[in-house]
This record gives sequence, structure tokens and C-alpha cells, in this order.
Amino acid sequence: MKITQEIKDNTIVMTLDGELDASSSVILDEELSDPKIMEYTKILVDCENLNYISSAGLGVFISHLQRFEDAQIKLIFYNMQDKVRNVFEILGLDLLMTIVSDYEEARTVSNE
Amino acid sequence: MLYKTNAKSLLLTTAIVSWALLLLNILISAEAINQPGAVKISIPYINNFLIVIFIVSVFLYQRISSENLKGIDFITYLWTLFSKAGVAAYASLALFLGYRLTINYTNIDSPSLLHFVYQINFGLLVVFLAKSFYIWRQLLLYHKNKFLQIAWDWFELLIFGTLLLTLLNFNYTSYIFLPLLALLSFYILFLCTNLKWVAYLTFNNKSRSLVLLGAILLSCYIFINFFRQFADSPDLVIDYTDVGFLLLAMLFVGLYTLAAFLVSLFSLPTSSVFEQKSEDLLNFQRLSQSIQQGQSEAQVYDMLFESTIKASDASAAWFELIRNSEPQVTHLLSINAEQITRIRHLLLAYNIQNIDYINNNLDRNPGFRDLTLPWKSLIILPIKSKKHLSGVLYLLKDIEQGFDRETTNVLRTFTSQTILTIENLRLVTESLQNERYKEELKIATQVQESLIPKTFPTDSWFEIATHAVAAKEVGGDFYDFLQLSESRIAIIIGDVSGKGISAAFHMAQMKGIFHGLMQQDMPPSEFMKQANSALSRCLEKTSFITSALYIIDYRMKGFMFARAGHCHTLYYNSMMEDVFYFQTDGLGLGIIRDKSYNNHVREMYYDYNPNDVMVIYTDGIVEARSPDNDEYGEDRLKYMLTQTYHLEAEDIKCAIINDLEDFTGPGNLYDDQTLLVIKFKPTQPNE
Repeated sequence: MKITQEIKDNTIVMTLDGELDASSSVILDEELSDPKIMEYTKILVDCENLNYISSAGLGVFISHLQRFEDAQIKLIFYNMQDKVRNVFEILGLDLLMTIVSDYEEARTVSNE
Repeated sequence: MLYKTNAKSLLLTTAIVSWALLLLNILISAEAINQPGAVKISIPYINNFLIVIFIVSVFLYQRISSENLKGIDFITYLWTLFSKAGVAAYASLALFLGYRLTINYTNIDSPSLLHFVYQINFGLLVVFLAKSFYIWRQLLLYHKNKFLQIAWDWFELLIFGTLLLTLLNFNYTSYIFLPLLALLSFYILFLCTNLKWVAYLTFNNKSRSLVLLGAILLSCYIFINFFRQFADSPDLVIDYTDVGFLLLAMLFVGLYTLAAFLVSLFSLPTSSVFEQKSEDLLNFQRLSQSIQQGQSEAQVYDMLFESTIKASDASAAWFELIRNSEPQVTHLLSINAEQITRIRHLLLAYNIQNIDYINNNLDRNPGFRDLTLPWKSLIILPIKSKKHLSGVLYLLKDIEQGFDRETTNVLRTFTSQTILTIENLRLVTESLQNERYKEELKIATQVQESLIPKTFPTDSWFEIATHAVAAKEVGGDFYDFLQLSESRIAIIIGDVSGKGISAAFHMAQMKGIFHGLMQQDMPPSEFMKQANSALSRCLEKTSFITSALYIIDYRMKGFMFARAGHCHTLYYNSMMEDVFYFQTDGLGLGIIRDKSYNNHVREMYYDYNPNDVMVIYTDGIVEARSPDNDEYGEDRLKYMLTQTYHLEAEDIKCAIINDLEDFTGPGNLYDDQTLLVIKFKPTQPNE
């Protein structure tokens, strides 16, 4: 699992590369727990190369969901592979989280 | 043994008889000399023959009597040598002096008496030589190699060969034999260099051995002196200095004794070093073996403290055990607590705590000089592995340059051995602890297994087949049922996020919630809402639970269900002959932890037909991976049901599980897997 961050103005673009399993979700949790992240208003998560997400990985996003919402930080996923999207959908997360098809759409949605 | 005893008594008899005959013969010859008129019967061949017989029997007797070396108690051997052989010389001396006195007082010049004394001394000489010859053999061959053994065997053969000269009455001083004898003497010199046993004597033993060796040397001197005095004497009919064998044997015994004496004498100053080294070695051994002997850490530290003090000859020392990063003085030697505190404060001031430190001249350092300590050298040795500091050893000496490089190396070896031993002891303890954890996990597995029902109520209107395996000892998957009324049954399946112990706890919690809430008989959606509210208070932030609850009513021939983020239910409708997944919305439990969850759960009612099949499972089934990292997937599961729906529930389950195992390959279980197959039957009970 490789997590890279790119900062553009008030936006963090986070790229997830590989499989988000129990061990790599710890790294993701550390990144999302960083207090600096609260200085931004938008977090765009590029899931193009995210091949697998475990329940632990989902748990990390779920645990930060409320915090970001309270701080009015928008969390948007894009470029998600079908099988990963299916995991989100089965759990019902597609109704709670913003999942869009590509980066352009993510930018548009985040500016709304 | 019997043979040996027999041989010994035979040899002894032979020796005594031959000696007696020899004496008789000599006395007769002596008498003959005294009476000039008598016929001179000179029979040197018989004499020589008897001498050889006597010598050979005594030597062989000693050869048989000598036992193998036992241990390294060489002093006992030397003592035996002195007490049993060396004393013979003093006895012969006493005898000779007695003879002289008798002659002086009585003025009787009896040649027979002289011959008698001479003959007894000859006997004593041979016994002395034989005894010392074979005791020296044992010591000489200590730590022998093959070459030395062969060299000795040849020596023995050659020296006995010289008896032939006597037997044939050759004069060994003739030009032909002299070089041969000289060569043999060089051979003896070479053999005398084998003195390995001396190195094993301690200082005290060496001093004692010097006295004993000196006494034996004196014995040799007495004998040599005695026989030289009578060499070529006109008063005697026989001269034993003519026997070359005796000369050579005496040469060997005398030289070897002299060599041993000199080597002991000159190695005396160095023996304490060897003693110290061998003690260090023993202490290393004790340290390294302390694990097998089941010793505790405290005993290991005791050993370290004692051994290092001995190895360095320290005049004062203390050892601190670090417990919870607080030093605690456990061992003390010739130092008081107040001095320790002062030294520690100084070290703290210099910031040299718990590190390797040597100061071989404390007086040169103003800080230490002010403390006015009676010591001049200090070494600090931390007992420290990569991550753990177990203790610190302080050694003090009252001389400058007390800890030279050699001593320091030995001390370091001691500390590293201690570290190794302590680490190993901890590892042993840890592995025992792990063993205990494993046992407890086994119990947890059993407890969890008892939480999952083994048997469903058997009814003629439906069949149920179940399959459940956990990836680890305990898992987060669960299913359960509750008979709500005569015609209604509630079936729940669930999956706690994560695996292992924490998942198992939440799974047990979920079972409690299911049984608690369903006693009140509520619709599935209501159950999910209340379960979410209950779990919101106890689930940790990153955990959530997916679940699906089915309430089947066979009287109504339908079931009601709600899905909370759980895998879609696979269904076969026999009327339409169609296999499909129920696509319903529903959010997992514990994701939203307030009332708004209520908007995220849907309930569905479905009428079933006889022969319909429902497959309920957890994500461990559809997310199972093949060796090529492909997922089993919903499609393959659906395909399996289209192939098998006509079978009994148990057979459908087996077919799916077999297919799944073919797909993943053996030993490829990463997530808990649960599968329930329910088949509705056409026959209606009680109607």
C-alpha cells in the first residue's frame, strides 16, 4: 500500500495505491489523524489503483467521517474500481459518502 | 582379571626364585674365591641368565600392575612413585651403612656378607627402576598421540633388547655397541620432552611435586653412587654395572625425573596465570550452562559477580540491577553504600552512566581525587542487550592500571555471556507465557464454538445446512436463530469488522443483543435500529458490524428481512426458475451512531414457494482469493446455485464449499467464512 498526498490550495489529493488491508489501514489512519489535515476544506481520494479494501480500511474512513463532517471538510472518492465500489455499496456507504467517477467531477462536486 | 592375578603371582615367584638362585650362585662363587685351592667354577652364563630372568619378571610385574591414569591427580602418582620406589634407595643406603658399621665394630671382613648386601641392593635397584619406569610411562603418555605411542612401544622394545647383550655376555662398552647405546640415549632424551602433565599442576601442586621429584632424584643418585663405588671391585664376583639395560633404565628414570623437576621449577611462576585461565574457562562454562540447569536470573548475576571479581582480582565491586529503570544495588564487596552514592553522583556529573567506562588512574582525575577513595582503577560494565539494560557492574582496584587490555577482554566476555544467558532465560520464560496464551486461546475457541448453534430445529417445512470456519483461533462471523412462535423463526447472520479477539468479543455482544431484543419479537428493521443504537455505545470507533435478519413464517409462507450492510442474499425462486440477489439498501451497524441511522435501513417481505433456496453468507466467501489473487465473487456463487438448486440443502452447501476450496487452493484462508443454505420444503406439517 502506498499513500501519497498532493496539496493544491485548500485541497488535499490523496492517492491510494495497492490493497488497503488491516496493516496498511493503520498508516491511513495516521495520515487522516494528522491535525494539519483540518486546515484544508477538501479531501479528494483517488482510488484508481486501490485494488482491495478490507473492513479495517472501511473502518478508518468511517471513523473519520463524522469528524470531517463536523469540520465541514468534504471527503470525495473518485476513480473507484467496480469491485471496491461494490464493497462500499453493500455496506451502504455510497449513501453516506460522496463517490464520483473522475477527478473533474470530484472538483466540481467539491466546489458546490 | 584371573589371568592377571595368576600372571602376577607367577612373575612374583619367578622374580623371588631367580633372585634367590642368583644369590646362592654368587655366594658359592664368592666362597670359591676365598678358598684359593678350590676349583674355580665360573659360570657367567647362568648368572646372566638369572639376572635377565629377574629383571624381566620384575619389570613385567610392574607393567601388569600399572593402572591407567585416572583424572589429573598427578601428585598421587608422584607420591606413589616416591613411597613405593624412592624409599628403596634409602633402604639400600641404610643397609649399606649398617654393613659398614658392622664391619668396623666387629672387624670381620666377610665377603659373603658384602655379596649379600650387594645382592639385596641390586634387588632394590631393579624394583625401583621397574616401578618408576612404568609410572613415568603413564605420565609420559598423558594426552598422547599415535606417534608418541609408537615411539614409546619402540623404546620399550629396544631397551628390553639390550638385555640380549647381557644374556650373551657381550660387553656393551665394546665399539660395536657403544654407538647403538648412544643412539638409544638420544631417544631417551627425546622421550623426556613429553611432560604435558606438568601444565595441569596448580601452584601448590607444583611446589609439592618439586619436593617429591627432588627426593626421587636423590634416590637415583644414591643408587648410582652405590653401584659406581663397587664397579670393577676386586672383592666382588659380579658387577651389575655391566648390565647395559640397568644403565639405560636408570638414564631414562633419572633424566625424566630431572626434566620434570626442571620444568615444574621454571613453570612455577607462570602457573597462577594458567590456573586463572582455566578457572575463567570453568566459569564461562557454568554461565553458559545455567539455562539447562534451570537457574534464575539472580543466580546468573551471582555467578557473574563472583567470576568477574576473581578474573580481575578486583579489590572492591558492586552490581546494580536495573528494575523499572531504577538502579538497585544487589551485590556488594568491600564498599559501603555511602561510597557508592558518592561515586554515582560523580559519574552522573560527568554523564558517564551505564556505559562502558575504564579509568585506570583515578588520582589523575580531580573529581575522583576529591572523593579520597582507597582505589585507583575503575571499570564500569553495563549488562546491556540491544534494547534492554539489565544491570551495571562496577569493579574497583587499589592499584593504577588495574584493568589492562587482557583483563578487560575477559571481563567483557563474561558480561556478553551473561547478556546472552539472561536473554535466553527471558526467551524461555516468554515462550512459556506464549504457551499459556495459546492454551487460553484454545479455550476462547471452544467458548466461541459453543456460541454458534450446532443444530437448528428440525422441521419438515425447511432444511438448513451450515458451514463456518474462522481464519484465526477466534473469529468475527456469527449466525444464530430464535424460535419466535410455533410457526415463526428468526435467523441472523453477521460479520464484525476485523478479525481475532476483538472481533470475537463484539460477536458475542451481537449474539446477546439478538437474543435480548428478539425476546420482544420485533420486525427486522426495528431490530436493526435498536441494535445500532445499542452498539453505538460499546463498539470502538473503527469497528462496525454487518448483519442480516430474517424472520420466516411458514404459516404465511413468507419471510421478512432487513439487511444492515451485509452481503446480498442469494435466492432461487422455483416458480420463476430464477436465481438472483436481493438488491436492498441498508447501512452497516455502528457506522452512523445517532438517530439518523433509522433512515438507512429498509425492510422487505417476500413470499416463498416450495423448493425455493436461500443462500446467506459472509464476505469471507465472496472475497476469498485464488492463488492468482482473483476474488471468488458473487457471480461464481450465483452460478453455483443455478447448477445445484435441485439438490438438498446439505448437498448445495457441500457443492459450493468444494468449489470454493478448489478456487482458493489448500491452506489459503484469510478471512472467516460462514455459509447458510436454507431450502423450503413442499410438505406442510400439522395440516
